[in-house]
Amino acid sequence: MDSDNSLVIKTHNLSKTYKEVQALKDLNLTVKQNSIFGFLGPNGAGKSTTIKLLLGLIQPSGGRATIFGHDVQRDSVEVRKRVGYLAQDPRYYEHMTARQILGYTARFFYRGPKDLIEARVGEMLELVGLEDKADRAMRGFSGGERQRLGIAQAQVNYPDLLILDEPAASLDPMGRHDVLEVMERLRKYTTIFYSTHILDDVQRVSDTVAILNRGKLIAEAPISDLLAGDGCSAIYDITLTSEAEVALAAAQDRVTGQLWVQNLSMTSDDGLTCWQVSVTDEAAAEDMLLQLILEDHNLKVKHFGRKTYNLEEVFLEMIEKENSK
Amino acid sequence: MTVQTHSHVPHDLCMAARQGLLPALGSGWLAGFGNMLAKELGEWFRTRRWLSQFLIWTTIINGFIAFLLFGLPALASIMPETQSAQEDLFAGFPPEIGAVMMYFSIVVMTGTMGVIVLAQDEVIQEKQSGTAAWILSKPAARLAFILTKLLSNTIGMLVFIVVLPGLVTLGEIFLATHQVVPLVPFLAGIGVILLTLFFYLSLTILGGVLFDSRGPVLGIVFGVMFGCSILKNFFLQISYVLPTSMEGVALSVVLGMPLPAMLVSQVISTAVLSILFVLVALWRFQHIEL
Repeated sequence: MDSDNSLVIKTHNLSKTYKEVQALKDLNLTVKQNSIFGFLGPNGAGKSTTIKLLLGLIQPSGGRATIFGHDVQRDSVEVRKRVGYLAQDPRYYEHMTARQILGYTARFFYRGPKDLIEARVGEMLELVGLEDKADRAMRGFSGGERQRLGIAQAQVNYPDLLILDEPAASLDPMGRHDVLEVMERLRKYTTIFYSTHILDDVQRVSDTVAILNRGKLIAEAPISDLLAGDGCSAIYDITLTSEAEVALAAAQDRVTGQLWVQNLSMTSDDGLTCWQVSVTDEAAAEDMLLQLILEDHNLKVKHFGRKTYNLEEVFLEMIEKENSK
Repeated sequence: MTVQTHSHVPHDLCMAARQGLLPALGSGWLAGFGNMLAKELGEWFRTRRWLSQFLIWTTIINGFIAFLLFGLPALASIMPETQSAQEDLFAGFPPEIGAVMMYFSIVVMTGTMGVIVLAQDEVIQEKQSGTAAWILSKPAARLAFILTKLLSNTIGMLVFIVVLPGLVTLGEIFLATHQVVPLVPFLAGIGVILLTLFFYLSLTILGGVLFDSRGPVLGIVFGVMFGCSILKNFFLQISYVLPTSMEGVALSVVLGMPLPAMLVSQVISTAVLSILFVLVALWRFQHIEL
């Protein structure tokens, strides 16, 4: 058993090959306790394969993984006692009602008087807003209702780790909003590991992100780090107005003359001049960049700030870079 | 609610304990066994399935026995040329024994087909629909999953295909002949019949584990069933290994007759093969990717 209590999931060179196709290549991943870990990647990147490996539904071709220090292959049942799982396309027995499905799921974890199990089931139905459909057979459920039931059955055992495979993929905007809200609410009590390709959702709720492409991990970082850029340089966006071209040229010389300034690119539009200054020393830039520009009183700064990326930009850039290799 | 730390009791158990719930029993290879067995038995006994199965099997088996015991004598009084039909069908045995013999024969023939049809989907359907992956993402052992399929179907077929029609048959015999068939030898005969049905059940479940579609499963199991009855006429040795004459074994047990070596071998081989099918199914299912 692995003893690092702060780590919920840890994989070491986890690999999976289907015949000739390598679905997952030497995955090394760590998921910390109480994080909401977004697992991103295009279709076929290996996200569902990873999740199935973690749950012991498929066997690795190489490497190993632990959850709560238990080996996911050897101690799979022990692992699954503490995990809640929602599949990408959740399937249940069609003739059973939502209440029966949840009762059946709950009894894999608990025993006790029937009314206590029923109370737990009722609590879960309320959590996902399915009280009024509790006694309807599954075959009459819509995709969104199935997904909500999926979250309820994944949560029925108060899991220490919730694994969700594309939890919002088949939901309408309201349904997506509800799912994200439930995830945010659960953050205090559990660790959430979820795969998705809806990047807006990830940016909204995740604190850590891993990006997988063609079975290979290409990034794993706190989301704030990922959105801040590549870590080697920072870019500042500056918007200026000036009556005198000379003042602008002089300011440009002052800035580019600094050792920590890597590059300055300029565009002009409608009387406004926009600079993008790429720097290697963020602290120096924070201290001096604005001062250097404002040395000349003929220049007016309309906007000054560090450029922030959105996840979609980062994601696409990384995937494109990786695919062009 | 408090945030769980790993050095203490897991969060789920703390939360559940507050609600009066205890951790489920069964771990390792038995994890989830009780829950899954209750669900599988529920499919037999807590849905309308029990009624349809009861009606199907009593109609087929006891309807046929009733025809032999009541219908043929009545027919003979109208059509004297059919007078020897019952005697021929009962192979010269008195009606109470002849009816028991026919009961064993018809249960083996129709019951085997019924078991194959009922069990062919048990594993394949769960693999195809994704419910097996859902169940096995919970603390449920793969061995327990297969064992509950075997056990629930064994109980279901024992009750609906063998025991209930058997008891009705005893009633029919009593009504027709006023003779009581000794219960213990009759139950021993039922045990032989159950072994035959279990042979085909375990082979069908094994097929469901090995294949992803019904075609090969039905092909193999029906192939064994019909192949046995045809090939035994050409290769007698088959009867030493496969269940080709188990109704005869059951009748011999009821009559207290000694079994020839071939039939003893057949019973032992059927039991050994059934266990082998179960073991292979359990082993293979451990490694199946869901």
